[in-house]
Amino acid sequence: MSVIFLKGLAVLGFIAVSAMFSIWLERKISAWIQNRMGPMMTGFHGTLQPVADTIKLLLKEDIVPKGVDFLSWWLAPFFVTVPVVMAFLVIPFSSKWIALDLNVGVLYVCSVTSICVLGIFMAGWGSNNKYSLLGGMRSAAQIISYEVPLLLSVLLVVMQSGTMSMQGIVAAQEHGWFILKPHLTLAFLIYFISATAEVNRVPFDIPEAESELVAGYHTEYSGMKFAMFFVAEYTNMFIISAIATTLFLGGWQGPFLPGLVWFLLKSYGLVAFLMWMRWTLPRVRMDQMMSFAWKVLTPMALLNLLISGWFMVK
Amino acid sequence: MMIRLFTGFYSILKGFKVTFKNMLKKPVTLNYPIVKKPMTDRFRGMVDLVPEKCVICYQCIKICPTAALELEHKVLEDNKTKTITKFVFNGELCCFCGFCGEICPTDAIFLNKMYEVSYFAHKDLLTIDLMRKDKYKHVDGGESS
Amino acid sequence: MGELLTVNMGPQHPSTHGVLYLELKMDGEIVVDCKPHLGYLHRSIEKIAENRTYTQFIPFTDRLDYLASMNNNLGYCLAVEKLLNIAVPDRAQYLRVIIAELNRAVSHLVAIGTFAQDLGAYATPLFYAFRDREKIVDLFDSICGGRLTYNYMRIGGVSADIPARTEQIIKDFIAYERKQLIEYNELLTYNVIFLARSKNIGILSKEVARSYSVTGPMLRASGIKWDIRKEEPYSMYDKFDFDVPVGANGDSWDRFKVRLDEISQSLRIVEQAIGGIPEGNPVSKVNRVFRGTGEAYVRTENPRGELGFYLVAEGGFNPTRCKIRSPSFSNLGALSELVKGLNISDAVCVLGSMDIVMGEIDR
Repeated sequence: MSVIFLKGLAVLGFIAVSAMFSIWLERKISAWIQNRMGPMMTGFHGTLQPVADTIKLLLKEDIVPKGVDFLSWWLAPFFVTVPVVMAFLVIPFSSKWIALDLNVGVLYVCSVTSICVLGIFMAGWGSNNKYSLLGGMRSAAQIISYEVPLLLSVLLVVMQSGTMSMQGIVAAQEHGWFILKPHLTLAFLIYFISATAEVNRVPFDIPEAESELVAGYHTEYSGMKFAMFFVAEYTNMFIISAIATTLFLGGWQGPFLPGLVWFLLKSYGLVAFLMWMRWTLPRVRMDQMMSFAWKVLTPMALLNLLISGWFMVK
Repeated sequence: MMIRLFTGFYSILKGFKVTFKNMLKKPVTLNYPIVKKPMTDRFRGMVDLVPEKCVICYQCIKICPTAALELEHKVLEDNKTKTITKFVFNGELCCFCGFCGEICPTDAIFLNKMYEVSYFAHKDLLTIDLMRKDKYKHVDGGESS
Repeated sequence: MGELLTVNMGPQHPSTHGVLYLELKMDGEIVVDCKPHLGYLHRSIEKIAENRTYTQFIPFTDRLDYLASMNNNLGYCLAVEKLLNIAVPDRAQYLRVIIAELNRAVSHLVAIGTFAQDLGAYATPLFYAFRDREKIVDLFDSICGGRLTYNYMRIGGVSADIPARTEQIIKDFIAYERKQLIEYNELLTYNVIFLARSKNIGILSKEVARSYSVTGPMLRASGIKWDIRKEEPYSMYDKFDFDVPVGANGDSWDRFKVRLDEISQSLRIVEQAIGGIPEGNPVSKVNRVFRGTGEAYVRTENPRGELGFYLVAEGGFNPTRCKIRSPSFSNLGALSELVKGLNISDAVCVLGSMDIVMGEIDR
């Protein structure tokens, strides 16, 4: 019992540090891309900037706007943050560093992370704000439709390795990463695009589209509640990168360096790529995004599943 | 359909190339409060005055489009020399056009190089006494001559 | 059709370019009706002109279209010169053309950057545009001392001659900017998401454009070849060789592309002008006193369209009436026609492609 408790604490600590590091990294990468310097004043090259931001957000007044649907408005940040924490349960940081190696790990992660949409929709509905409502509506449609190609591409990995346990999938990649196999390369691309949409990152950031909807579903949140959305967003980004690492990039395996280092390197590499993408591409439109999911990604994932499944059985 | 997908993908990769190339370039911004950019020779900052040079011709008062300057003088007992009793600059009305400096026959009034023009109190900005030596000393980087 | 949703977009909104207030009636995400409300930045500049001398009004023209102060200065000074029959030295004419064209180029850069920002390309194209603009702003700073409100042109000349090395800086900028334009094309123009977002969105037909008296890049994007610099050459424009880029469909992408092409055309004009600046004294002192009678209307090609100054004088030191025909105001009229039936994202895209400046709309 106490071991699980300690593991939980370690996960919480990691989430806090990881989110702060991601925020710092995002600000620095955006600055480098835009020929700026980024945060420079707090700490060495602004490393303590996220800490300062957190303190600022903690000290802010918690404003409850007039006319909110209080229960759903108040609960929404928790619905967004808690599943993110829960997903860490099955992520294998190294051969030993895993909180709990469930035998349905992949299923668990996919089901837990899709609870987030509920929180986002609650935030959009409860805020009693038209921009938030539009953002919440968009988000619900987006996340649910991108769940399909995401699961279809993950299914292929499960078929390939024959197990749903995260450690089992990593072990199956001992003699070559899954991404090196052609059908799984396609699956990786589909997974990565859908996962980007799943966490509302550019070019699929339409729920919080700044130039249209001000801030989307979290327009009315301030202080620590806003911080929770923020932390959830960045931790989500880490989670999809970590899952991609585990499923396609050989997890913690790698020469010379210890497993943990390899895992973090690969995951943060993907996180950095997501950030690079954010500062490069424009945003797609709602209907374009939906038709991309249903007319391109889903058929491709299905076809991929069908063809490679046929070869596997044969 | 497939061709469109691939050309689209290629165009996105081109965008990535551009941002990556720029990522390796040196930043063009300055680490502002520590490093400051020198102002150019003709830069128009706050209105400044060398009281000794002023001949009280009232040209600057007349040309000012926003009436930001206020000048009063009195004639001394010998009925010849004039002396300034009040020369106040309203920093809020000023539009930094530089007409006063351009028209001044003796270059007494000019626009200095001070660009950090924030004040702690609103009324300090409204009544800047141009006759005082230390009028712009409160702001870091402000220079007065 | 269900119940309509009224969304008040602005005056404080990230993508309304200042303090424009759009009253959108929406059916879900589709815009059914759009009503722009103006007046949040009104400063009664036309009335101010009646109470200032001709020279004193020049700084106020800076504040009309604050992204293209030089062009506004030029338009006003030309109007006063026409009214009072004032001769301008050749060197001043050349300097005015060079400065105005450079200002046009950087103003279009801002338009491109903000348009990309409206399409959700977070800040990066905007920062690139501002990085390039900064070079010209620095140059203008060294020429006239201002970084946004330049106040450079004077009636009958300019305020100061260009400092040494300016020609070299301009030549360097032209070479640099031509390279950057390729980069913009790679980053934005032919990007598949950018194309999908802006192609065939907000098509402005020739007839509608004419009936709303739309001008500038917006009109040219609709396929009408109309440029005051060609049709009614003012200053020195008839001496230079340049093309007028025209769009094919009149959609948002065309408006963007026309601006991008106009930058290279402006650079061409500057390149020709910089070689042939005659010697002389372009400076016109600020203490010249003007008075006269009559009326004059001068229209010039601003980055955003046709800027007109109508001056009436009755012998005093100041004009009796000054009417400003601002391009953004007329262009904005076509907005509600364009956004009907579009998605809210597209409405933002159309508004961004129109490149309005509120300082000029409200005056």
